[in-house]
Amino acid sequence: MMAGILEGVRVLEMGGNVSAPFCAKLLADYGADVIKVESPHVGDEARRMGPFVDDDPHPDKSVPFLYLNTNKRGVTLDPATVAGEKLLGQLLHNADILIENYPPEEKPTPLLETGALAERFPSLIATSITAFGQTGPYRNHAATDLVATAMSGLMYHSGDSDQEPLRNALNQSYYVAGINGAVASTAALFQRMTTGLGQSIDVSTVECLASHLVQAVPYYSYMGAIKGRRPVRGSGFEELMPARDGYVIPSVQGSQPWTTVADLIGVPELHDERFASGSGRIEYGEEIYNLLVQGLAQWDRKALHQASGERRLVFGMAQDAGDLVECPHLRERDFFRTVNHPVAGEAVYPGLGPRLSGMNYAVERAAPLLGQHNREIYRDELGHTDAELAQWRALEVI
Amino acid sequence: MTLPLEGIRVVDLSRVFAMPYCGAYLADMGAEVIKVETHHNQFVDTTRTLNGPYPDNEPGELHWERAGTYHTLNHGKLSVTLDLRSQEALELLKQLVAVSDVVLENFTPRVMRRFGLDYANLKAVKPDVIMVSNTGYGHSGPWTDFGAMATALEPTHGTGAFTGYLDVDGEGNTSPGTVPNKIANSYTDFLASWTAQLAVMASLFHRARTGQGMWIDLAMYQVGASFMGEGLLDFAFNGRRTRRIGNRHETWSPHGCYPCLGNDEWVVMAVRNDAEWAAFCGVLEMPELASDPRFNEPVARHANQDALDAVISEWTGSRDKYRVMAMLQSVGVPAGPVFNARDMLSDPHFRSRGYFETAEHPQSTQLGEREYVSRGWRMSRNDVRIHKAAPLLGEDNAYVLSGVLGLSDSRVAELEAADAVGASLKGSRVPSSVPLDRQVELGWTVDYDAGYRERQPPSHGD
Repeated sequence: MMAGILEGVRVLEMGGNVSAPFCAKLLADYGADVIKVESPHVGDEARRMGPFVDDDPHPDKSVPFLYLNTNKRGVTLDPATVAGEKLLGQLLHNADILIENYPPEEKPTPLLETGALAERFPSLIATSITAFGQTGPYRNHAATDLVATAMSGLMYHSGDSDQEPLRNALNQSYYVAGINGAVASTAALFQRMTTGLGQSIDVSTVECLASHLVQAVPYYSYMGAIKGRRPVRGSGFEELMPARDGYVIPSVQGSQPWTTVADLIGVPELHDERFASGSGRIEYGEEIYNLLVQGLAQWDRKALHQASGERRLVFGMAQDAGDLVECPHLRERDFFRTVNHPVAGEAVYPGLGPRLSGMNYAVERAAPLLGQHNREIYRDELGHTDAELAQWRALEVI
Repeated sequence: MTLPLEGIRVVDLSRVFAMPYCGAYLADMGAEVIKVETHHNQFVDTTRTLNGPYPDNEPGELHWERAGTYHTLNHGKLSVTLDLRSQEALELLKQLVAVSDVVLENFTPRVMRRFGLDYANLKAVKPDVIMVSNTGYGHSGPWTDFGAMATALEPTHGTGAFTGYLDVDGEGNTSPGTVPNKIANSYTDFLASWTAQLAVMASLFHRARTGQGMWIDLAMYQVGASFMGEGLLDFAFNGRRTRRIGNRHETWSPHGCYPCLGNDEWVVMAVRNDAEWAAFCGVLEMPELASDPRFNEPVARHANQDALDAVISEWTGSRDKYRVMAMLQSVGVPAGPVFNARDMLSDPHFRSRGYFETAEHPQSTQLGEREYVSRGWRMSRNDVRIHKAAPLLGEDNAYVLSGVLGLSDSRVAELEAADAVGASLKGSRVPSSVPLDRQVELGWTVDYDAGYRERQPPSHGD
């Protein structure tokens, strides 16, 4: 069995923050050899993104940075210098895939323009991830995760209908853009096996998230209706509801009869013919809501989730980070990996989402220190001398 | 132009959102995707019958061919009906797998074993098959037999620990939220769909290099947790369990969502540093704000956001959301409207990039031409797009049964007579539809435009 099924694929990652690093991390987790290029002066901006290990704002202790950059090697390079651009050319010459997320008109060197890349590196797959894409009237707009989520349409539907739309957890827009970039890049890689040709890929974060709107968009394009945030009134099913020790989501989905649901919740009054149909639960929503509150108050989250699963119901529960890290199910599925980082120390890291029969997922490397692999890559692999490296360091090229 | 997945055949056994959407993307990329359906109502993909929306809210006699969410999730595919309760149909399905490359399915582990369609059995008929088994909790672990739906699974994998409004006390002061909230829109389904696409692409590449197939055990719960990585690692290092700060940011301010002119109209903005703050105060024409000691440096500003947000809400409240975006973007401050579907469908940026793609539907559906969300990326060498509308039920029975599997006409007729295949949904009633006025009352719908098909995009000029 192979360590990773993209073994031997060489990826260069430039830019920083979350989207391009997550995209490249996924490729690395599948076994690709990823070289992360950082600015020699300040490094990836994610190094300054909290939270930090022990709340110490040190560039090697950013929790997002540590998570996003496992399994990569790191070099420093200033592509705006003459020597730096030349080195970048060598790195690109050796790469199969470039992942970058510079704003369209802020690429640090003309070498990274789409036309220049296609001409000099015809077999390179060059994937650009930006908020709005490389074309269109908003292409140069300033954006953050919040702005991208709002303009994707996703945020309009998040939160409660009687309050403002609500931002999504943990920079999700960048993660969704990152994995979409990885999908398109590997599709191009597969195609290149027959054509031998690379290509450029334009990923828009806003459009990646907009693709989630498989209900709200046809609501408008089929009947002119604007679907909003989840209503605060209703029976309480499919919503977060208080249980004894936290929140749960009672659900009528899962193809079991109403009596199974009513039995589980344990309030006899719920066994009422009027409540057994979807339309009845709309009609008598408030009555059901009150009974549900009464019943759920007798349950702890995890016990209810377990009992639901055993009855083939699909109740959910609100779990926090501690619940997940300690989750016996995720542990048994071998989701976590212990990783030791020379500055941040040791911790259990969440691993790869899916399990693949033909691959052993592993974390071979913790996130790189700034310029950690300069010598290994520039000297040992590209054949430069220690003297050259010293000179580049003095000139702040690396 | 070619397409990346030309010559790849996909057998799509999946239902509902996550895997069907994966199949549609594979079709956009050039794969021949055969959706295996049934014409028996109790087992049909529920997006044909339960989700709507229907054109002008009218299901119609052929309602299962007219559901907008089904069409969004299944474009580009072929449809064959095979009633898997019949042993003969199961055998035909295995023959189909034997001449295909990829299988997508989201049955529970128990059902797949009962059908004899688990990986071991499919591998026996197609040794290098690439198979995605998408379930709530995966094919191992103590919760393996639990079912799941994305809407309840989402907080189970942790979104609610990091999504939630601030708590507000009696005096209007805010503090980190204690109540979890949801991203909604079946969020986890899409994470699973993107994850499956990546795993399939990487596996196709691997198969082309090694000749080996792959079984992808995709647990939506675990995939969801992998998207909460930085939050889980914060617990591992620091013991922090939740971080619910509404629309605010850990260090930047202002950072939030503010009301604009109109019903349920909002704008977001993010001020990342003092230079942007100065520019922001200039746009608001409030020099007193810039010099106010509560706001004139980042730490104070962050500590006094309740007061600052009140000032900003008053300013945005009398302005159009596009206007606020234009004013702030003109000085480089990140800002944008909170778009609803109507806004998106008429927005000049989405339109200029051709984001919404059109499919022409068969006459029998009376759907005509409709617009659909497409995908977040474009490839310079490939015409990846929605190539055709989602199929009618059993539309490709003849092609699949006779063309691909080589069955004789009499054999096909026997299958039809035995009710193992069919092209008209049996046992279904025309669903009732809730009138849009009532949907507004119930809070399912914010508003509706009766003349939406003739509506011209509004002008957002100053």
